[in-house]
Amino acid sequence: MGEWFIKELKTLGEILVFLVPAIPMTIKITLMAFAFALALGLFVGLSRVSPNKIFSIPSRIYVDVIRGIPLLVQIFFIYFGLGKILNLNQFVAGVAAVSICYSAYLGEIVRSGIQAIHKGQFEAAFSLGMTPVQTMRHVILPQAFPIVLPSVSNEFIATLKDSSLVSMIGLRELTRAGREYYSQYFVTFETWFVVGLIYLGMTFVLSRLASWMERRFRVHGWGMG
Amino acid sequence: MIIQVKDVVKRFGDLRALDGVSCTIEAGEVVIVLGPSGSGKSTFMRCLNGLEKVDSGVVIVDGMRLDHSKSDLRRIRQTIGIVFQQFNLFPHLTAMENLTLAQKVVLGRKPDEAREIALELLKKVGLSEKQDVHPAHLSGGQQQRVAIARSLAMKPKIMLFDEPTSALDPEMIGEVLEVMRDLAREGMTMVVVTHEMGFAREVGDRILFMDQGRIVEEGRIEEVLKNPKEERTREFLSKVLKG
Ligand SMILES: Nc1ncnc2c1ncn2[C@@H]1O[C@H](COP(=O)(O)OP(=O)(O)OP(=O)(O)O)[C@@H](O)[C@H]1O
Ligand SMILES: [Mg+2]
Repeated sequence: MGEWFIKELKTLGEILVFLVPAIPMTIKITLMAFAFALALGLFVGLSRVSPNKIFSIPSRIYVDVIRGIPLLVQIFFIYFGLGKILNLNQFVAGVAAVSICYSAYLGEIVRSGIQAIHKGQFEAAFSLGMTPVQTMRHVILPQAFPIVLPSVSNEFIATLKDSSLVSMIGLRELTRAGREYYSQYFVTFETWFVVGLIYLGMTFVLSRLASWMERRFRVHGWGMG
Repeated sequence: MIIQVKDVVKRFGDLRALDGVSCTIEAGEVVIVLGPSGSGKSTFMRCLNGLEKVDSGVVIVDGMRLDHSKSDLRRIRQTIGIVFQQFNLFPHLTAMENLTLAQKVVLGRKPDEAREIALELLKKVGLSEKQDVHPAHLSGGQQQRVAIARSLAMKPKIMLFDEPTSALDPEMIGEVLEVMRDLAREGMTMVVVTHEMGFAREVGDRILFMDQGRIVEEGRIEEVLKNPKEERTREFLSKVLKG
């Protein structure tokens, strides 16, 4: 029993050592994809609430289409489909696919955040002579921010987990590294146990960070409870 | 005249919220708008500063036609200040920031200049010591006074008040009316929807009485109050004067 246990620990340790070098790639994909998704999602969300149909209709179609297709299929489509025409490497294709997918979700979150703001806020800003852009920037978005913060941090955590899907186009991130280890040594249970544990560790840190931000905002907020 | 409204119709679906409204308002006048609930008073006010687009008719403010262009519309909005029943202060900004934001982004005033103007106005409404406080920490009456000051910071020629005291506890109504009384005394052109008949009688020059989207009676305030020509006006007045 004791001997078995020590052997197990050694295996787990070896797996960990093998996997750790792949973690930076997972983090890099997550950060880049989420940054692009945020920028694009802000644009999509603003377009969704625009009174101008030139913006609102295409953005609505964009959201419906992107949300209706599994991320994995989007990754394949962008890498094997578009990627062959545009000559995209795995990293660019993977990050692009995750960004696009999450921009649709974030766009909906931005839209709901804007729509949660009372109509009187828009009217007060317009009545003071502010343009729609000034109104969004100085009045609406700052108020929408704390409302969407919890949903946005959920999406961030989801992006981290879904970055594992880009392993399917051969990008060597955490999940891919796990597959390599296991196909070399055939220790299924231990390998995926460690992979799962690493993801769990990262998402745990993120969710702590998110609740710290939410709490901080509530304390330093506008005293509205 | 500073405001001219001609044959204005505003529809919401099948409902004619304004059904051919015409009137003129002279600079320096204080006009009281009265009428039963749903008669179109708020819609009338909102058409004056372009928050609602009219379906037909014209609104001319300080020589500018309201429907001409977006930049004209913004100029008109700088000419007209509006104070809402629900204050609509920006909750994420302090009282001071509420007053300086539009000065900076709309009028391009320097931060120092904007602060100076803001401070002067906060003093005027009796709230200079609340400059760093967020709206959530102000009473209703204080919020409404900040909202008035916020409008005044744009140096408007006309102020619209849509039931500015209706959302307030009775003990706070006086402080807001006091600020409005001062404004009227300084010669501000004002259009005021209110049920505060004491204030109306004291400060108002003229009454517009609305019913079902029309101005059904109009005249000098004492005259309309003393002997209203229209049955509808008489009925309404007897209700508000009793209540
Ligand atoms: N955005 C809107 N959409 C649909 N109907 C509206 C809208 N705004 C106002 N109305 C309708 O238009 C009519 C006039 O409304 P308005 O708010 O101008 O009345 P009011 O005289 O200000 O009433 P109150 O004294 O209750 O404030 C009402 O029947 C109202 O229901
Ligand atoms: Mg009203």
